[in-house]
Formats: sequence, structure tokens, C-alpha cells
Amino acid sequence: MNVGALSRPRSSRRALLISLSVLLIALVVGMEQLAPLFRALFPDQDPAMYERESFLNLTLAHLALVLVSSLVSVSVGVAAGLFVTRPAGREFEPLVSTLAAIGQTFPPAAVLAIVVPVAGFGFVPTLVALVLYGLLPVVQNTIAGLGTVPSQTLEAARGNGMSAWQILWRIELPLAMRVIIAGVRVSVIINIGTATIGSTVGAKTLGTPIIAGLVGNNLPYVVQGAVLVGLLAIVTDLAFERLEQRFSFGEGGNAE
Amino acid sequence: MIELQGLTKRYGETRVVDDISLTVEQGEFCVLIGPSGCGKSTTLKMINRLISHSEGKVLVGGEDITTLPPERLRRRIGYAIQSIGLFPHWRVADNIATVPKLLKWPSSRIAARVEELLALFQLDDEGLHDKYPHQLSGGQAQRVGVARALAADPDVLLMDEPFGAVDPLTRDTLQAELARVHRQTGKTIVFVTHDMDEALRLASRVALLNAGQLVQYDRPAELLVAPANDFVRDFIGRADLGLKLLSRRRVEEYCRPAQRTRNNAIASAPITWQVDANDRPMALLGGRLGEPETARTVVNPEWTATPEMSMKEALSRMVWFRVTALPVLDGEGRLLGEVTMSGVMGHRS
Ligand SMILES: Nc1ncnc2c1ncn2[C@@H]1O[C@H](COP(=O)(O)OP(=O)(O)OP(=O)(O)O)[C@@H](O)[C@H]1O
Ligand SMILES: [Mg+2]
Repeated sequence: MNVGALSRPRSSRRALLISLSVLLIALVVGMEQLAPLFRALFPDQDPAMYERESFLNLTLAHLALVLVSSLVSVSVGVAAGLFVTRPAGREFEPLVSTLAAIGQTFPPAAVLAIVVPVAGFGFVPTLVALVLYGLLPVVQNTIAGLGTVPSQTLEAARGNGMSAWQILWRIELPLAMRVIIAGVRVSVIINIGTATIGSTVGAKTLGTPIIAGLVGNNLPYVVQGAVLVGLLAIVTDLAFERLEQRFSFGEGGNAE
Repeated sequence: MIELQGLTKRYGETRVVDDISLTVEQGEFCVLIGPSGCGKSTTLKMINRLISHSEGKVLVGGEDITTLPPERLRRRIGYAIQSIGLFPHWRVADNIATVPKLLKWPSSRIAARVEELLALFQLDDEGLHDKYPHQLSGGQAQRVGVARALAADPDVLLMDEPFGAVDPLTRDTLQAELARVHRQTGKTIVFVTHDMDEALRLASRVALLNAGQLVQYDRPAELLVAPANDFVRDFIGRADLGLKLLSRRRVEEYCRPAQRTRNNAIASAPITWQVDANDRPMALLGGRLGEPETARTVVNPEWTATPEMSMKEALSRMVWFRVTALPVLDGEGRLLGEVTMSGVMGHRS
């Protein structure tokens, strides 16, 4: 994916982002208009269009879940990454990295199985699973991003009389931002996909038609849910790609 | 201006800087020099508290540096390093404005100061103001690094091998610029290098360190003429001590009156300059190695000298062009006098 990003001119990436966003919005609000198409493609399926819930509602619920879980992952992950790269927290670095890695090795289904008995069905267990799942890339990339700031740059910042806070805000975070955002990007993309699993424990997401289709042997349901999830992931990824580029300051960057 | 009193840095049991005491007067250009690992950088960084000292005292402007918050101290002391450490996400102008911004100068004053420094370092004519560090050449980046160190007009400037990473030609230019800036601003500078030629060129005082200890602290000429011990002699390099000495001397110190003639006739002196109506030398009569005394050699701009030229360079030109004398010219190309091979040998201070 990144190879393509480098080889294609930036303007065409932007056109792609815009057209796919338009397509996504059109499908979210107008999927019902495609009913004749699905009936023609799947003549044997009786309801060939998922109608128990509007796709708009499903998408918004899906987005809400991803947004909340990502906000939590990002704030906890960045805070943890910052903490272990300060002098006071340096000794906790191995511990935090390990914990975050363990969080990701749990299969999401296993997390759901553990959390449901405690937190019940629906939104909350899915949220917990997504937060645990999204933490690792953020923590890892925060640590890695801050690690890329050259020690001479930091020495120059100290030597010119910046305080620890000023160095963090004016030098370290801006320079690490590109790598941190790359971590957030991975985290969010994973969560967009993983959130569909939440439907197995009753969370309302774009996974709901997919699960319903799998259970009821209804292929059109699966296609309708999957197309939207896939498009949402691609559009989000392209948007992050643009955001990352804003924070590149070296050769080939576009720090305009 | 800067006083080190029994300054010591210990890491565990090792004393990497061991009981150094020296005073750098206001306006002095002090060069710390010594072999790799002798503690030059450590000594320098203890002056602005990038490294805390274990024993002893550092006074800057009469004040003990431990009585000030480190950030306040560092904003009063310029700091430039070899790797430059320009902030890659800031434009040249923002980089230069680092300390004035920290000091919350009004933006109009900052802008004026940035322009002034760009002009001082001859960086103003290339639209450099808005460039990012990765768009600069090594020499330009070094200049910006030094300009940033000077931005808030600190009395003291600390520099750690600032020209270590550029090619010899650029280094030469940068040294000349720094010498000029030092003359123009009268800053007190402490400068670390391990290049003796750089030290001799820039320093008004040289502190030679070895294994954490101060071996000799003297004016460059004294260091050359009266080295404290064999280590100093070895470090300066015995082999080209004479040349080093000449590199500190300027042609004007050796210049003596020249014998002139307006025609081809050989005068009484062994070396005679044939000059034109404007007193510009046209040819050297005699004074060419391996040629008869009467040989006439047309003066070539490459084997002339100026009063500001180092004697080392003048001698080098004599050797290269196989002449025993160079005409010393003023700005208009008029003959001021001559320097000769025998004159080099005769002069000693
Ligand atoms: N944090 C540290 N812990 C232990 N020893 C150190 C530390 N920092 C520096 N040293 C040692 O202190 C000595 C002096 O280091 P310093 O950087 O001052 O040398 P230097 O004279 O600047 O050398 P160079 O010319 O190579 O830059 C070296 O032997 C180095 O190994
Ligand atoms: Mg050093």
C-alpha cells in the first residue's frame, strides 16, 4: 500500500480519497436504492436487502465505537509512551511494551468471552476489546517516534535554554508526530475491522448484517456489510496518509 | 568573564575532568584543545550546566552558575555544536529566533534581530530565511547554528567543534567569518577543537588538556615558543613547529622596503623590482632560484603577498614559484615592500 503511495502523484491520491469518500457516503445513505441490483444478482434470496436497521444508523454506531475506543487507545497509549521515555519512567519501558504486546496477542473473540460475563452484552465489552487491541501500535510508535529525535537536536534544545516541557511540546512531539500518527493509523484501521466482531455480543455495528447474513445464510447481507466496512477502512487509511505527510520535515517531505 | 575553579567531573571513580582552574577574560577567544576523550566537551558543557560538575566552581560574569535556574543561565550563553542540531521542523528564521522567542522578545524585535544576523553571516541574499534545515548546505547550516547561538546577544558563546563536519575550504571561510564576528562583537568565546591549526588561527588563548587535566594555558605564541613539557611539544607537532609559528605571523611583520627601478637595468641590490608608472611591480630582477642574478621574471599575481597574508602562505608561495622574494602589494596593487626567504629566517620573536 505504501509503495503505491510513493509512486503515485499526491494529487491523484487526493482525487482517490475524495471519490471513495463520496462513494462511501452514497452507499451509506442510499444502499436501499440498490435493492433491484441485489435482487437481480441473488434471485433466490428473499429479502435481498438488509432492512432491520438503516445502514446510516449502523455506520454511525460503528464509527462511534471506533472513535471512542481509538480516543481511549490513543490517549492511554501516547501517555504511556511519553511516560516511559521520560527520565522518571524509563525503567518501566520493558513492562509497558510487554503489556501492550500481550493486549494484542489476545484474539478479540477471547477478550469478548472474558469481558461479557463481567460487563454484559453490547457496547462496553466491544469497547474494552478494541481499546486493548488498539493500544500496542500507539505505544510502540510513540516510543519509536520519540526515539527518532536525534540526540544532538535535544542537546541543542537544552543548550539553548528550553525547559523539559518546551522541549517536549516544541521539539519532540512535532518531530515524532509522523511516526505516532502512523501508529494511530494502524490502530484505527485494526479497530474498524475488529469492531464488526462486536456484533456477536450484541453491539450494533456494520458487522451486524454480516453476522446476520452468515447465520441466516444470506450472502447479500454479508456483501452489504462488508463493502461498507471495507470502504470505511480504505477511506480512513487514505485520510491518515495525508495527515502523516503534513508532519514530514526531511527530504521528500512536504513541509510547506 | 568565565572562571573555572578546581572544576572536576567524576563518573564513578574516574575523573574525566580533573581540577581545572582557568580564567577567560572578557572578549577573549579561548580554545580548549587536546586529544580525543581528554574532557574538552565535558568541561565546556559544565559551563552551561548541560553537565553538572562534581567539585569546584564555575563563575560566569562573577556569578556562581549554580545560583541560577539552568534554563535562565543557558539563555544567557550561546551554544553551538558540531552536529549543529538545527531544529528540522523550523525554518531558518525560526531556528535563529529560538532564544529570543524563549525570552519573549516582541516579534518586531525578533524579526529585526534575525535579519541582522542573516546579514552578519552573509546568509541574506539567497532567500534562506524561509528554508528548512535539510535544504541548506553544510556550510550554511553551520552559519545558521552560530547565528542561533548569537541571537539573544549573549556575552558568552560556547562552541563545541562547530566546524568539525565541513570540508576544509568551507571550514577556512567559516573560521575567517568567526574571527571577524569575534572582532566585531567582542564576545567572550570558549571554543573546543582538536585541530591545532584551527586553534592557532582563532585563539587569543589556548588551554591544552590531557586526560582531564589542564597542561598549559597560554597565548598561542607562547605555547609554540615555550611549550610547558614534551606532551605539549608532541601535541603541537614538533615536525612543523616552525610552520605553525609562521602561520601566526603576518606578512606585514616581515615586510621590508623594496628596491625599485623603472627600467631593465640591474641595480646594486641583489633583488630589484621593476615597477610601472603607478608603482605596480612588473618584474623581479634576480632573486629566482637556479637562474643567473640578472634573470628577469615577470610578476604573476599568484606570487604576490598582501600585508594580512600569513607568513606560512607567503613562504609556501615562494617555494612553489621558486622565487626568493615576493612583492607585498596594497589594495591597488602598488608595491609596499617585499618579503624574502632570508627575511623569514632572520626574524624571530
Ligand atoms: N556519561 C558518561 N559516563 C562515563 N564516562 C563518560 C561519560 N561522558 C563522557 N565520559 C568520558 O569522559 C571522557 C571525556 O569525554 P569528553 O566528551 O569530554 O571528551 P572530548 O575531549 O570532548 O573528546 P572528543 O574530542 O572525542 O570529543 C571520555 O573518556 C568519555 O569516555
Ligand atoms: Mg568532544
